[in-house]
Parts: sequence; structure tokens; C-alpha cells
Amino acid sequence: MFAFMEKNSSDKAIIMSSESISHGSGMTILVVATKMPGWVWFGIFLIIFFCWQLPEQARAIELSDDIQVHGFLTQGYFLTSENRVFGTSDSGGSFDLTEAGLNASWSPVTDLRLAGQVLFRRAGAGHEHDVELDFGLLDYTILSTADYRFGARLGRFKLPFGFYNDTRDVLFTKPTILLPQSIYFERTRELALSGDGGLLYGEYRGAGKNISLEFGMGIPRGDSLDSELGLLGSDYPGETQSKLSYIGRLGYDLEGGKYRMAISSMWVDTRYDPKFLPPGDLPPLKLIFKPVIFSAQYNIDKFSLTSEYAIRPFEQTNLNNQSSRNIIGESYYLQAQYRINEDWEAIARYDVLHKNRQDKKGAKYRTTTGYPAHSQFAQDWTFGLRYYLNSSFLIAAEYHYVNGTAWLPLQDNPDLNDSAQRWHLFSLAASYRF
Amino acid sequence: MSVREMMTRYTINLLIMLAFCYPSMVSAENYPMVVVNPTINAKAFLPKTTLSAIFGMRLRKWQDGSPIKVFVLPDQNSLHIAFSKHVLRVFPHQLRSAWDRLVFSGTGEEPIRVKTEQEMRTVVSSTPGAIGYLSPEMIDDTVKVFPSE
Repeated sequence: MFAFMEKNSSDKAIIMSSESISHGSGMTILVVATKMPGWVWFGIFLIIFFCWQLPEQARAIELSDDIQVHGFLTQGYFLTSENRVFGTSDSGGSFDLTEAGLNASWSPVTDLRLAGQVLFRRAGAGHEHDVELDFGLLDYTILSTADYRFGARLGRFKLPFGFYNDTRDVLFTKPTILLPQSIYFERTRELALSGDGGLLYGEYRGAGKNISLEFGMGIPRGDSLDSELGLLGSDYPGETQSKLSYIGRLGYDLEGGKYRMAISSMWVDTRYDPKFLPPGDLPPLKLIFKPVIFSAQYNIDKFSLTSEYAIRPFEQTNLNNQSSRNIIGESYYLQAQYRINEDWEAIARYDVLHKNRQDKKGAKYRTTTGYPAHSQFAQDWTFGLRYYLNSSFLIAAEYHYVNGTAWLPLQDNPDLNDSAQRWHLFSLAASYRF
Repeated sequence: MSVREMMTRYTINLLIMLAFCYPSMVSAENYPMVVVNPTINAKAFLPKTTLSAIFGMRLRKWQDGSPIKVFVLPDQNSLHIAFSKHVLRVFPHQLRSAWDRLVFSGTGEEPIRVKTEQEMRTVVSSTPGAIGYLSPEMIDDTVKVFPSE
């Protein structure tokens, strides 16, 4: 359900006027703060930036020897020629992306560590004031030697897949403001973020090489409106709910990280519980998503080359009559980063998404549903630049030329017929971390 | 000036230049050295994989089970860059990426940052379980040097 699970709705779109389902965001204090428009957040950011002595070497705050606190704040601006990304970006641009996080890690005794991160997010329609627990876990090291490590994490853990998912909201840890959308969809972000359960991890260190394995089971966060829209295509009267799911990632690093490889896979189970009987609602559904992602990266001093490829099989079963349908999607990207000097970095990427391998151009989809064929694919050419003022401040800018609308956030773009096939996106973001 | 005098001057200049270049030509002697708190009772040398695992924040305790406290200088500091490139043999940006991934995914922590080499020496000598790095001339008997492969 990590955005991979994009269900092609063959029913008429019944988009209900959105009252977004609020998830854990009942804090009135923050509601007041979040009513402020985007430019005010940007202004606050500038104030922090200019008036506060820029801490050249901002340390993590250490409350005591055993506790570390870190955080970040990002403010983004989006301008699109057509279609909408994070708010009304197609009319004068949008400042509707503000992300802030605060995390702490505490190690009371040697093999035990508790860590948690809270995120605050404004991200366009339906995400005006999201406050969420990103992760909250207990990490226990079962075995630790010079060559091996083995342990377990319990609680809410970040879902380990691909190279970028576990830190996808922090501008410092991702290559561009928008991650490659064919693999790290924004539209079903909650599903991909973290799960509640347990995870085992192991590591082996050889000469210059490092093998790591993570295997987790838990319940992802698939009960949001975004997930429902992403999976079913519309906001139906019932609810989506995540069930026990599994995830694993095997990583292999050579020569101290000069070559990095990974294979990630998951088996994600989501159910749709209808409120009414058909035809006023869908039948009860079981949606199984089991993608495999191959990741590879080459790193030298000034240059990094990254590529990821995903096969995204998706199976939807009608629990009333056990009939099922299968769709296999495909995604890949190729990315090159060039570190001009210690302050500047340039990036170029080509990212491709097909929702259905057997209908790459979406022609079959258009015939069956009447909806635009371009909602079934997306090709994205991205060019970006980033500037590190110091180790705590970063400014990034990027331009995307996109052919296709397969990954457009659905709450920002409720009417697919209104979207344009070819469009441009420009984004600027500033980020602070400590 | 005679040809001979010029040659002598030339040679002297060359030797002076070489004297300045000599440290970087034989740079291994000037590489940062790993230092630890004197109370640490560990093997005579730390293999590179172990050093990488310690500074990569994946190996968190010494053989006796006591926690490892890792100290580093800021990312832009030239000693840190030399340590990363020549001792750990990874690029500083890779080290930074690895630490950030740990911190923001909840799977680990980053090393404690100190501002200067003096601070590094003070903190390593006074913190049980501490490990860090210093340039050879900054080392004194308050810290124990660990030769690496």
C-alpha cells in the first residue's frame, strides 16, 4: 500500500466533498497555528534564518549523556503550469508545504534504546494540519560483536524499503524536494511511512563489505482518505483498514559504500469495509500488494549514480464472491548527482511510472473507464540544484517536466478529467536541521 | 650571478619547497590518528572494518560490553575530512548520509560533535568509553593512541 497499490477505479467517481479524515490531529493549539497561510510560515522561517545567529556547527541537543534530540523544519514553494501539487500551485504558486519534525533517542542502558519522532505537516488539500507519530520504538540489541549485530525493534517503525523511504520527509536525506514519485508516491504517503509491530535486524561486516537484513511485521497506516483514494480511486462511504503485513530489505554495501545494493519487498494487506450494500457502495474487498524493489547506487567523491526498479503486483479480491483481479505496475528511475563543491550539488533524474504493465499508455483504461489515459503513466525529467549554507541550512530548487498524471495527489486534484497530460513543476525549498 | 650560483640558489629553493611538500608527500605520517580514553582495554589495533563500524555508529559497545562514545569534528573541518578519506576511506558526504539515515529513521544515533581539536582531546580523555581522532601533534599522554591497519 505504499503508493504502489494504485487501484484503477472502474466505477464512476463519487468524490464526496472533502472533510478529510483527521488522524490523531486533534490538538487545538496546532489547529490555530495551522490556519496561518503558507507565506507566514515562510516568513517565520526567514526570521529564524536571519535573526538567529546561524549556528555554524549546530550540535544535536544533548540533554544528558544518553539522550540526543534532533529536528528539522522545511518550507516549500510549488509552482505548476497545470495540475496541482500541495495546494493551488497552478494559480500563483503555493506555499502549502511545511514539514517539521522533532525526534529523540535515549539509551538508558547499553543494549536498549528508545526513540521517537513526531512530525507536523502542512501538505495541501486534506493535510492542513497533520500531526503524527512518525516512529516510536524500543530497540534492543541482542548480539553485538565486531563482525555481527542482531537486534529487534518494537513499536512504530519506519518501513524499510528502497534507499529513501525511511527518511523520506527530511530534505537533507533525500536527493530532491519531491522523491522519485514512481516509487515514493506522495499521494499514499501514510501507507508507506511506518507500521506498528516488530522488526528484526541483522548485520554482517566483512572486509569493506556490509550485509544487512531487516524483516518486519506489523500494521501499516492505511486508514486515511489518501489511502482510500489511492487504492480505490474515489472516496467511498466505507473505510480502508490495514491488516497484518510483512516487509523485508536486504542490503549489500561494497568498498565502504562505493557500491550499494538493496532488494526490498513487502506483502501488504488492506481491507475495504463498506458502509452500504452495492450499488451504493463497493463490496468488501481484500487488497494485496506485494512489490519487489531493486536498488543500486554508485558513489565516488563528486558523483553519485542511483537507480531503482520496482515491479508492483496488486491483487484485489471481492470477498463476497472471491473473484479477483490482478494488475502489475512498473516503476523505475535513473538519477545522477554531481557535487560541484562542498556547498553546491546538481541533480538530474528520469523517472517512469506505469500503473499497468499491460496497458502502459493507458489506452485500455480509457476505453473501460472513460477517464484520461494519461492518469495511468508518468514520465518525469527532473533537474535540480541545492546549496548548503552550512551544515544546518539548505536551499534546494528543482524543475520537473512531466508527461502523465499517474502520481498527482488526489485530494489536490479531485477531478481527473480536469488534469493536463503534459505539465511543468517548479519547486523551491529551504530546510533547517539540528 | 654566475651559473653556479644560480644552480645553488635553484637547488636551495627546490629543497625548501620539498621541505614544505614533504609532509604531504609522506602524508601517512600526518594522517589523523584514532585516540581513545586511556581506560579502554581493547585489542592492540582496530581493524578497518571495526573502525568503520564504530564511526558509522553501527557497533555501539566495546568488547567488555561498555558503551562506545564516538566524538567527531564538524563535517567541514579539514581534519575530519582527512580522517574520513584517509583513515576510514569513505567520503565525508557518505558518512554524513549514513548518520542522517540513522537519526531520522530512528534506527540509530550520530556521533557527538566537538568544535575544536582541544575540545576533542579534553572530551576523549575524560569520557569513559570515548573514541575520536586527533592530528599527531595534538596527541599527549591524556589519550591513548590506537594504531589502525
